[in-house]
Amino acid sequence: MIPAVRSELRKFFSTRLWWGIGAAMFLAGAGFAVILAIVLTLEASPEAVAAGQPTGSPTQVANSVYTGGITIGLTLSLVIGILQIGSEYRHKTITGTFLAIPRRGRVMGAKVVALLLIGAVYGVVSLLGSVAAGATVLSLRGADPFPDAEVLRALALSLLVLGLWALIGLGIGILIPNQVAGLLISIGVVWIVEPLATFALTFWEFGRDHVVALLPQSATNAIVGGVTQQTPTAAEPLSWWVSALVLAAYAAVLAGVGTVRTLRSDIG
Amino acid sequence: MTATAPTGGRIEIAGLTKRFRGFSAVEDLSFDVEPGRITGFLGPNGAGKTTTLRMVLGLVRPTSGYATIGGYRYGELERPLSTVGAALEATNFHPGRSGRDHLRVLADAASIPTARVDELLELTGIPAAARKRAGAYSMGMRQRLGLAAALLGDPQVLVLDEPTNGLDPEGIRWLRGFLRRLSDEGKTILVSSHLLREVEATVDDVVIIANGRLVQAGTMADLRGTAGALVRTSDAEALAGALRVADVTSSPGEEPDTLVAETTDLRLVGDVALRAGLPVYGLEPRSTDLEQLYFSLTEGTNRNEGAQSAADQQVPHQPAPDQDPGAASAEEVSS
Repeated sequence: MIPAVRSELRKFFSTRLWWGIGAAMFLAGAGFAVILAIVLTLEASPEAVAAGQPTGSPTQVANSVYTGGITIGLTLSLVIGILQIGSEYRHKTITGTFLAIPRRGRVMGAKVVALLLIGAVYGVVSLLGSVAAGATVLSLRGADPFPDAEVLRALALSLLVLGLWALIGLGIGILIPNQVAGLLISIGVVWIVEPLATFALTFWEFGRDHVVALLPQSATNAIVGGVTQQTPTAAEPLSWWVSALVLAAYAAVLAGVGTVRTLRSDIG
Repeated sequence: MTATAPTGGRIEIAGLTKRFRGFSAVEDLSFDVEPGRITGFLGPNGAGKTTTLRMVLGLVRPTSGYATIGGYRYGELERPLSTVGAALEATNFHPGRSGRDHLRVLADAASIPTARVDELLELTGIPAAARKRAGAYSMGMRQRLGLAAALLGDPQVLVLDEPTNGLDPEGIRWLRGFLRRLSDEGKTILVSSHLLREVEATVDDVVIIANGRLVQAGTMADLRGTAGALVRTSDAEALAGALRVADVTSSPGEEPDTLVAETTDLRLVGDVALRAGLPVYGLEPRSTDLEQLYFSLTEGTNRNEGAQSAADQQVPHQPAPDQDPGAASAEEVSS
């Protein structure tokens, strides 16, 4: 298993993709941290809160600042996951992979381990940017950059979040054989479909109370425990550990279905 | 265990069949590939060569039948890359990854040290270019890189799919010498090609398939048949009689007043004719027209099975008998 994981990691780090994504992770982390550290420390008037300005405890504010780039981060993780299997089919390197390791379950297992590791590494890269920039700006604006040990939990969980999104990408990469289509569809779902669905569901009581919190990005935001909207129509987020299980379930189902398909398919 | 299996590096294929949605790509195919010999696996494009090789390598699941290497199926091999090396297509590279890294990815998976990667880059003659990204490689470079990948684990058995595709004449000559050296070391080598002419100088044995079925399997010498001499005289029948007395069998040639004598000794034929008082207008060595034989073998079956509509889509049209077969097939795109 270790040789297979090493091979997967070398696949990822032997093309130019890795440093481009690394740079994007760092900049997104730092950039969003600066913006959120300013916006979330603005004086919140009751009218603005009623209109939807997100507010929270000092802990939630710190969490939001440090994980502000998470939407960019999860999108990039999704891309990594899709490419880790999609480019193998696109460039037919999957043939060589399965010749070297005919036990396909082992190959897929190695991809899962490698993607969790890669997600965690990029999570660290993103946090280096966001904590350095965010803590500086928060201090300058008189807010407490580390109000609670809970912040550390959110930071640690953000590493897991990126790994889980990479696994979701792995599943998508197998289920949508055309790599470009897979990338466009999944990015479209994350940036357009899910936000629209979340908005639409707030008009339906059952959907607001029971469905929205289960959507992958709502779960992601609940895991890292950021600020929330206080409007009457805002959905109540689940606790961080239930959300983590929800996101893990998405990853397990998609990566699992993809793996089963890979085990049986003819490689032509 | 795998390296010292009782059958050595022999490839055994028995009753191998693959059907895709009613279309039969490979049908009840059986043949063996012997160690220490180069075996040519021939057939027109779409005949089922690549599907067969992919079944041997565990990439495609047979509908029925099986293929073993040294007595084991590919998926059962303990160390697959050190047992079988395969080069299937010259395009199986990530364009953004260097050739050397491509090999290191495979070497990692098979726990082969990086030193072996550099050794192979030297052996296949691409050490400098291997550090550039593979997207810029010429076809010949890709073939060499594919061969290097196949040899990574120093396997006993080599399976190469159309390795001469895209190679220049110098590359083809290099490949020939290279394969001969490996075969002299006792390795089992299976080389597919859609052109008999490309491999006829290289291979010891041939397996010919058409429409997924075995057409012929045997040694190259068997396929060539006995070489003979074509002689043109005034009275073929009289000369045939004279040759019979000299213990040389002969048969009438295609043109009138010609005779094909089953001997390569031109001087003997001339002497017999002189003693019999018959004029000799022409005397030349004659070998079997392999290309013609190959096309008649593969085309005969094709015509018989032409009713399958799916097969028609899959199998490129055969050149008509009056066309120059070489020119027609050179235009075909490789499968």
